[in-house]
Amino acid sequence: MSAADEGITAEDLVREFRNGPRAVDGISLAVEPGEIYGFLGPNGAGKSTTVHILTTLLPPTSGKATVGGFDVVDQGPAVRGVIGAALQEAALDPHLTAREHMRLQTALQGLPHAERVSRGDELIERVGLEEAADRKVGGYSGGMKRRLDLALALVHWPRVLFLDEPTTGLDPQSRSALWEEVERLSGEEGVTVFLTTQYLEEADHLANRVGIIDAGRIVAEGTPAELKSEIGRPSVVVAPSDPGRLEDTAAVLERFGKSLPAEKGTVEVRLDRGVDELGAIVRELDAAGIGLASLVLNEPTLDDVFLAKTGHHLEGEALPGEDDSGDDE
Amino acid sequence: MIKTTEAGPTRYLSAALGVAWRYLHNLYSRPSMFIPSLVFPLFFLAAFAGGLSVVGDAPSFDYYDFTAFQFCFILIQASTLAGVFAGFSIAGDFEMGMGRRIMLATRRRSSIVLGYGIGAASRLIVTWTIVTGVALAGGMQIAGGGFDLAGIYGIALLSNVAALLFSAGIALRFRSLSAGPLMQLPVFIILFLAPVYVPKELLTGWIEPVATVNPITALLNAARSLMAGEPTGVLTAYLVVFGLIALMGFWAIRGLRQAEQAG
Repeated sequence: MSAADEGITAEDLVREFRNGPRAVDGISLAVEPGEIYGFLGPNGAGKSTTVHILTTLLPPTSGKATVGGFDVVDQGPAVRGVIGAALQEAALDPHLTAREHMRLQTALQGLPHAERVSRGDELIERVGLEEAADRKVGGYSGGMKRRLDLALALVHWPRVLFLDEPTTGLDPQSRSALWEEVERLSGEEGVTVFLTTQYLEEADHLANRVGIIDAGRIVAEGTPAELKSEIGRPSVVVAPSDPGRLEDTAAVLERFGKSLPAEKGTVEVRLDRGVDELGAIVRELDAAGIGLASLVLNEPTLDDVFLAKTGHHLEGEALPGEDDSGDDE
Repeated sequence: MIKTTEAGPTRYLSAALGVAWRYLHNLYSRPSMFIPSLVFPLFFLAAFAGGLSVVGDAPSFDYYDFTAFQFCFILIQASTLAGVFAGFSIAGDFEMGMGRRIMLATRRRSSIVLGYGIGAASRLIVTWTIVTGVALAGGMQIAGGGFDLAGIYGIALLSNVAALLFSAGIALRFRSLSAGPLMQLPVFIILFLAPVYVPKELLTGWIEPVATVNPITALLNAARSLMAGEPTGVLTAYLVVFGLIALMGFWAIRGLRQAEQAG
């Protein structure tokens, strides 16, 4: 079974909005059946627009995509039959209870009457909402809404699940519970999961493979380990105790590797020969008479990958001299 | 675990009934939505049939009962506005995000419009019962038979469908409650440019030619003739209302396609 048969494929997907930017600018990807694919990028990168195209909510301006083996433009109804989606804003009716939402969703998905109540109850139990099942959703917390949204996306046993920033705004406990459920769906039920996130930890923890998107384009793709190994070497961040010696510090450190954009008052370099150089760095700084406020060794993260590929950090932390020009989706 | 959903046509109907169920559930569980939609026609019935009853005594007014004369208008007006109110719900759903959930979950999206249509038509049962009950309590005389009455309610039902399709077309294009006046105002205007208070023959001035070409006039005249037990122009009225449904159906489906394009 391949991505084209059961998973997700996209070829040169483009979406232009009238009088607006190219929200999606030539995205190509392939997600294998049963895989958890993390789509990582900052706000406004084009993640949600891509999800909207793949879930048939929005037609592409050009390009081609298939989900579960069906073309998203020509076979929209068939695509909707095999997907479940929990989008960024949990679209719930505040006047309905969780059980009533289940009643609505099972009807919309055309479940046989005899199965509707049992399927709804099963999913409510699975996401831990039994106690609140008969309360109106308007009074739910953000985490409860997210869990109900996930349960609703699963009523018709979808083969492909789209989760658009599913843990944004959740407390750590709710986030961890949702991660467990996503891992169970992929591991035990073989559901293909397309997960967008702006959290590095989430992509690192959950995704089998990660696509990094910036300004509508995929700038890197691979397993988290592969991506980090592309960067390969750790970096060292040094803050001199005398801020006036910052340039001297940089001059010393640049002998050991390439300089990276760093926070104010610090110097960061990617080490050419890895951690082995740490002793030499300390000795050289000492020899130059530079006192240290701090010295931190950083193993590569997905943020480093993002930084290396795009020139800026992922989570909106604009570096000195950089402009945060991310537009909202 | 059985991993099946219903086959095509059953699933289509299931989705439409799901949309209709939610519409009616929210309508009847929220008095703030339901009561105004009932008060509206009752107010008009009281104002027109009660306050203007002296019009029925005019020498040239030859209809047998002024309350029955007004009732036909109120029935069509209430049914039509019930269709418009369903359009408000569609717009509200898109504004709050539920429209997206429904668009994602239904295979054939025309079932969404059908669902709201079923909901809007179903709510008429309550509206008709109350309006008819109040009119009868107010002394309305029904001269026509059961078949004639069925003809009147048939016209009212089809008016509801046409209005729902019109307002759905607006709602799906704008996907915002701010489009409410665009749904309500044209329907209000076309209703009141028909012969509301007196037969068309008694209209004078600019309103007379306007009422002549107003499709609502054909519906009103047919309903009043059925109420009087002397059916005239009934076939024309049905042709007119089916024509409106075809036109508005096209308008609504085009609106749905626009909503799909907008995402």
